[in-house]
Amino acid sequence: MMNNNNSEYVIEVENLIVQYGTRRVLDNISFKVKKGEIFVILGGSGCGKSTLLRTLVGLIRPHSGKILMFGKDVTTIRVQEQIKLLKRIGMCFQNSALFNSMTVGENVALPLKEHTHLADSTIDIMTQIKLDLVGLGGCSNLYPSQLSGGMKKRAGIARAMALDPEIIFYDEPSSGLDPIVAAGLDHLIRKMQNTFNLTSVVVTHDLESVQIIADRVCLLHAGKIVAIGDLKEMELNSNSYLRQFFTRTPNPEENQSTSAILDSLEDM
Amino acid sequence: MIVSFLGKIGQIFLNGVHSALVVCVLIMDTLNWLFLQPLLGRGLRWRSAIEHFVEYGFRSIPIVGLISLLVGIIMGMQSAYTLQQWGATIFMANLVGISALRELAPLMSAILITGRSGSAITAEIGTMKVSEEVDALMVMGLNPVKFLVVPKFIGMVIAVPCVTVLSMAIMIAGGFIVAVGILGIDFWAYFDQTANALVSKDLFSGIVKSIFFGLTICWVGIYRGFQVEGSAESVGKMTTSSVVTSIFTIIVVDLIWTALFYFTE
Ligand SMILES: Nc1ncnc2c1ncn2[C@@H]1O[C@H](COP(=O)(O)OP(=O)(O)O)[C@@H](O)[C@H]1O
Ligand SMILES: [Mg+2]
Repeated sequence: MMNNNNSEYVIEVENLIVQYGTRRVLDNISFKVKKGEIFVILGGSGCGKSTLLRTLVGLIRPHSGKILMFGKDVTTIRVQEQIKLLKRIGMCFQNSALFNSMTVGENVALPLKEHTHLADSTIDIMTQIKLDLVGLGGCSNLYPSQLSGGMKKRAGIARAMALDPEIIFYDEPSSGLDPIVAAGLDHLIRKMQNTFNLTSVVVTHDLESVQIIADRVCLLHAGKIVAIGDLKEMELNSNSYLRQFFTRTPNPEENQSTSAILDSLEDM
Repeated sequence: MIVSFLGKIGQIFLNGVHSALVVCVLIMDTLNWLFLQPLLGRGLRWRSAIEHFVEYGFRSIPIVGLISLLVGIIMGMQSAYTLQQWGATIFMANLVGISALRELAPLMSAILITGRSGSAITAEIGTMKVSEEVDALMVMGLNPVKFLVVPKFIGMVIAVPCVTVLSMAIMIAGGFIVAVGILGIDFWAYFDQTANALVSKDLFSGIVKSIFFGLTICWVGIYRGFQVEGSAESVGKMTTSSVVTSIFTIIVVDLIWTALFYFTE
């Protein structure tokens, strides 16, 4: 029974605790991601979404807890195993993190060059395919500084897709973009998942993109998961933070203090 | 008062030990990816290393050359000023030659390359850290030490001695200009005097120093680069700190080697 369940989940997080120094950012978090779904991690700014993603891909060592990816514990994995695992995942960073000293094409080609023994001509073709996939077919020779924000995110996705990963992580793919470009990225994420049966973990605070892309959602607040489930279950959930988040209601006390300042300014 | 003062000292000491440990790990890692891993078939990035060598060595020749010439001329005039009193101006060849080889050429080259390239190393790595490029490398399963550190290391450790040897020659030429051009000493007399004054040990000690200066510039630059946290402001701070730490360490290393060569004479 247990074993049957295991194969269905590609990521299993159990009792994860992450601290910066003594400051606890993630407090006892557990969730599972099913194969082939888009799992969205929602939460306010600074609640630890990026920290969670970075811990999942092994950039941050957790204080305690377990992270199973394809059944292997990421937190205790050996270097060689970890490299094998990293080839099966892709990550799109919040600010794209393209290598600024390389062209877009070279960025996408780098993982192929380093991890495969393909001929240069084959790598060129594969790079072109990945760039076409994200709609940047003509930008191969441009440098990241010559791209717009949305194009950078797309290039980041192309690079993350270079080795045909099974899981892809997106850190705020649509933040800082205008609604049209953001919607374009949401559709790209959907398309990737449909075409390649990719498992996607998307971090965002954008409610509109959640409606488009999410199969399941978890809401982070103060280092804990306050709600988890599909969109319908979220609608029905009566947790006060969740309702506040979904109805975009500001915190009352913050309102009071700012309005006090504004009032005093008006008096002057 | 006293307790907090002692606490400060303890803190500084602990920080020092911590930095030393981090640098040791960095050194071990560099050596691992420089010697061991290539033997295990994990390759070296030669092209990148050569590009860095050209950047640190070749491109610094104009500025190092010019400054070496000026320092050579200055040294020539200063020693002539002292030696004239005894009518022994010809011995300026000894003074200029020995100080250029043993001290000034290695030191000037190292300090100039620190300003030019040590700072650039820190800024580059720091910027890559801030923009998460280092993280991106790691998530791709690519080792930052192999990709960023080793090529710079190879480039720097070869470039500094090469530039230093050039600087030695140009400084001595500066002395020639003063001796032959201003003081009217016979060219061949000055040449013989210089050739007789210098022994291979002078050259050797200068080159040994310069290799260690290269190591210093490189490791301090890289260490400070990886210390960058958070923002662009931190890049600026660490770049400044890289230059200061590097020059300080170079002087200390210089002192140690000079003492070693002096007492084993
Ligand atoms: N390197 C770090 N060192 C210390 N604190 C950090 C670090 N990175 C993030 N934090 C803190 O952890 C919290 C969560 O950050 P982050 O995961 O980036 O949030 P999010 O991505 O949800 O906006 C923030 O309060 C932030 O100040
Ligand atoms: Mg974030």
